[in-house]
Amino acid sequence: MSMAVDSFSASVRRFSPRLLLSELLLKQWFEPVVPFTVMIGLWAYFALTIPDYASVQNSVSLLRLFAEFGFVALAMGFCLVTGGIDLSVGAIFALCNFAALYFLLVREWPVGLAIPATLLVGALLGSINGFLIGFLKTRPFLTTLVTLIILRASVNLLNTSYAQVFATNSVESDAWDFVGGGSVLGIPVNAATLFVVLLICHIFLSRSRYGWHLTAIGASRKAARHAGIRVRLMLFMTYVLSGTLCAASGIFYAARQASTDSTTGVGWEFQALTAVVLGGVSLAGGKGTVWRAMIGALIIFLLINGLVRMGIPGYVTSAVTGMILLAAVGIDVKWSKNRGKAIQKIYVNPAFVPLASAPAVQPGAASPYAQNDRLIKAQAIGVDQVEGPEDVILDRQGRLYGSTRDGNVIRFSGPDFKTREVFAHIGGRPLGMQFDRDENLIVAVAGMGVYGVAPDGRIFKVTDETNRTWYKLNDDSRLRMADDLDIAPDGKIYFSDCTTRYEMTTNTLDILEGRPNGRVVCYDPATKTTRTVINHFYFPNGICVSHDGKSILIASTSLCKVFRHWIDGPNKGKTEVLMDELPGNPDNINRASDGTYWLALVGIRTPTFDLAARKPGFRLRMVKQVPTDEWLAPALNHGCVLKFNEKGEALESWWDPTGISHSTLTSMREHQGYLYLGGLENNRIGRIKLDGVDDSWTGYDAYWGAKSRVTK
Amino acid sequence: MGFFDHLLRDIRSVIDRDGGQNAIPPLDGAMSPNDRLDSAVPIGEPLPGVDDVIAAADSAVYVSAGRQVLKLSGADFATRTVVAEFEDDAGGLALHPDGRLLVCVAGRGLAAIDPAKPAPRWLESAGGSALVGLLSVTAAPDGRIYAVEGGAGRRPGEWRHDLMEKRAGGRLISCGAGLDNPQVLLRDLPYPYGVTVSDDGKSLWLTESWAHRLSRFALGGNGLGPRETVAANMPGYPARLHPDGHGGLLLGMFARRTHLIEFVLKEDDFREEMMATMPPEYWVAPALVGGSDCLEPMQIGSVKALGIQKPWAPPRSYGLLVHLDAEGDATDSLHSRAGGRFHGITAACATPSGIVIAARGAGRLLLHTGDLR
Repeated sequence: MSMAVDSFSASVRRFSPRLLLSELLLKQWFEPVVPFTVMIGLWAYFALTIPDYASVQNSVSLLRLFAEFGFVALAMGFCLVTGGIDLSVGAIFALCNFAALYFLLVREWPVGLAIPATLLVGALLGSINGFLIGFLKTRPFLTTLVTLIILRASVNLLNTSYAQVFATNSVESDAWDFVGGGSVLGIPVNAATLFVVLLICHIFLSRSRYGWHLTAIGASRKAARHAGIRVRLMLFMTYVLSGTLCAASGIFYAARQASTDSTTGVGWEFQALTAVVLGGVSLAGGKGTVWRAMIGALIIFLLINGLVRMGIPGYVTSAVTGMILLAAVGIDVKWSKNRGKAIQKIYVNPAFVPLASAPAVQPGAASPYAQNDRLIKAQAIGVDQVEGPEDVILDRQGRLYGSTRDGNVIRFSGPDFKTREVFAHIGGRPLGMQFDRDENLIVAVAGMGVYGVAPDGRIFKVTDETNRTWYKLNDDSRLRMADDLDIAPDGKIYFSDCTTRYEMTTNTLDILEGRPNGRVVCYDPATKTTRTVINHFYFPNGICVSHDGKSILIASTSLCKVFRHWIDGPNKGKTEVLMDELPGNPDNINRASDGTYWLALVGIRTPTFDLAARKPGFRLRMVKQVPTDEWLAPALNHGCVLKFNEKGEALESWWDPTGISHSTLTSMREHQGYLYLGGLENNRIGRIKLDGVDDSWTGYDAYWGAKSRVTK
Repeated sequence: MGFFDHLLRDIRSVIDRDGGQNAIPPLDGAMSPNDRLDSAVPIGEPLPGVDDVIAAADSAVYVSAGRQVLKLSGADFATRTVVAEFEDDAGGLALHPDGRLLVCVAGRGLAAIDPAKPAPRWLESAGGSALVGLLSVTAAPDGRIYAVEGGAGRRPGEWRHDLMEKRAGGRLISCGAGLDNPQVLLRDLPYPYGVTVSDDGKSLWLTESWAHRLSRFALGGNGLGPRETVAANMPGYPARLHPDGHGGLLLGMFARRTHLIEFVLKEDDFREEMMATMPPEYWVAPALVGGSDCLEPMQIGSVKALGIQKPWAPPRSYGLLVHLDAEGDATDSLHSRAGGRFHGITAACATPSGIVIAARGAGRLLLHTGDLR
């Protein structure tokens, strides 16, 4: 048995690159990794091929050159995030460059006035775009194309008029020189400003309400409008922001170059667009960060700069950037369309499942598992009045509860359980149930967590999250699929969260994957904290606190084993295999009146499914190539209930081998001489009379009353 | 299969669309699902191992079931007489124009029973090998006898092995009216199951189960003409063909194709280990009957929901009888779907009181009196 534990823990550590990749792709922060790598690679390449490229001096001068382009790229990034585009960024930049020089040299305004005035010019030019696009609902592409042409023409016109003035005058101002060539802590002032602006813009876009509004508009303009976002105003403001950022760029450029000509900012809109899309800001809108825009901008800047320094002609450089834009746009369109599909394709990663051999179940076989028909004639309760009672339980008054797939806890009472009522509507998919000392019904609810229902029907939350595993990519702090629970003598609630990778509707995929994705979690009512007790468990399902209260029994559905985990005594914290060779997939475990345990088998192991368990590649291809309904499964249409003792020896079995009355049998509960049966997909609760058992035994008494076997 | 194999397969599926990668066609048109087979009336007590049924002249039927050939006659076919009993399973039946009864006997060959003489005559080999796996036999109006063997040297009971090993070793043979001069007309066929000759004696119909195919051959003075594929890529595995009495044919489909079986047929490693390590009734393979043994394979869609197995669930076994017109086009069909009663249809014949159907999976002979176009 110890060997089984070893192989169990060894397989836990089994690493799958596919699995890692699929979880990485789910992460938002993973997408810019590729452009980031390209950026680093590009820099490294130029550092190796161009002499002195990696020197501090060169890096500083590169930064100074880059900063102005960075502002323009940022402006373009914002427009793309809202689902639009701003082709006039280069022209606004050029006009603001002109404006700054005009204010300083022609009007001879002080620097402190010229800078805000230039920013205002940028904002005004942006507001023209914003007004047309936001309020008149023109197309961003055509609108900004038109402003590009008009502004470009104006710049050229103004340039020719004032070229002489600019050439003959110069600004005598320390402040202006600082803007043009100064440094802050060794970093060029324009780059430092860019960095501060980036930080502010990042917080604005990712953490502020208006940033979220912008993203929402880009993702779906209609939905954003329905959500009450002021779409028109937000769009207007975006283009104003874009214009202002271009103006900032123009100021730094003017301070550095102190000249203007007809080529200033020509083609920048094209370079900025290439950069931003390359960085991973989607052309479709609604996706992107300022850092992605900056990564892309750096790539384009390094590339153009590097190519120029290597002596490659300008038209070649233009062609190269054009080609990059084409590729980036193509990848952007394909990737944003197929990302979900790609993840879906590699998300399921079946592993080898170390199953023990299956015992014989044939009728007449000399094993306690031999098939019989003792459940076929079970008395039916509430036929067609319950939809899939996964778990059943009885209270001290002998009323019967079932947790159903419509999110209800249904209660049957009265003679022959003829009275049906909805005891509580919790929502989610209620599964395992147990009464605590105060007769609150504690319910494990798949998709929600652990909830309680007071005797008066009031619902309260017990817990819905646990501690996160620090090294896992998938955030596993939320309870995905709480399945069964039990309560220890000290009031701690132990429950299984059977998978952290799938949901209730897709949990068959977890069985097919056969990886230890589940966990056993404990909620301590004294401290109101939830901690994961066992991480990485193969589909933990049924949980039962042992009669002596010192250990919990855990059924592993996909491994077909029952484990014991000590919560008290000398072995506290240890996990061992209690039942190794089960003929089926175990579900809930519950106490029996004679000091033994009941175990439901939801499915029976078939030779073909066991073979598939040994062949992960087969299961992977099956999941991909065969429709969901046709996947191989364990035999779920045959009901079986077992009884086993503290040593893990199976004693007896009760079968409905045809599944006529009880298929997908998931739970059973003994109460005053009867055994009550529930099924995940069944339309009834069943009951059979047990012979030779303590007719006064009830579950509540066994936990909290006179029938308890807890040893102090 | 590695990445490269998958790529090759994808390329092949584009270039060669009929290269065995055909999707299973849905049941529609004349094959639209219904529950009409489940409403057929069982005839008398169960007949375990019922296999073939043919109409006799006096509105009676001959039935092969297990080792026996029975004659069911009288009102409601209530009178059962044992016509013959063999040392092994009796399969395909046919009435020769001269009144003799032809019986395919597993492991032995073709028997011709003359009502006047107690000892049958035998044809035990053809083309140099023994006829151990004869499935169907038919006699042309001119007295010539045609029979098919599913796989050379393979007994009919091993049909699952034949499919899962992807064999194609079936034969079409013919012999004279006196079981003389046997000839192998076609060999290397993918499990030829049913054979019949049209009433005018001018064409021969043949079904091949593993190719899901129905073919017609012209019969002339100089033997068999070229193959004309009438229906390919059928949704099930075709079994025997018998005339419907009005120029058409009744075709039994003994199982439906499922995506899982087609998938396992591509998975060589899994399939080989499956065949080596478990009994055939637990394989992922077609089945004549299913659902009662908890060790047989199960598919997710077959899970009973609220006490009912959905009829559209992927079937472990299925009942399907198709009516074909004189051109071999399906015109109507009777179904017993997942969760139904009468699965594994191997043969059906037309009698004056209705269509008698052999449901081998259910071990029942059924009478369908309703309409069948």
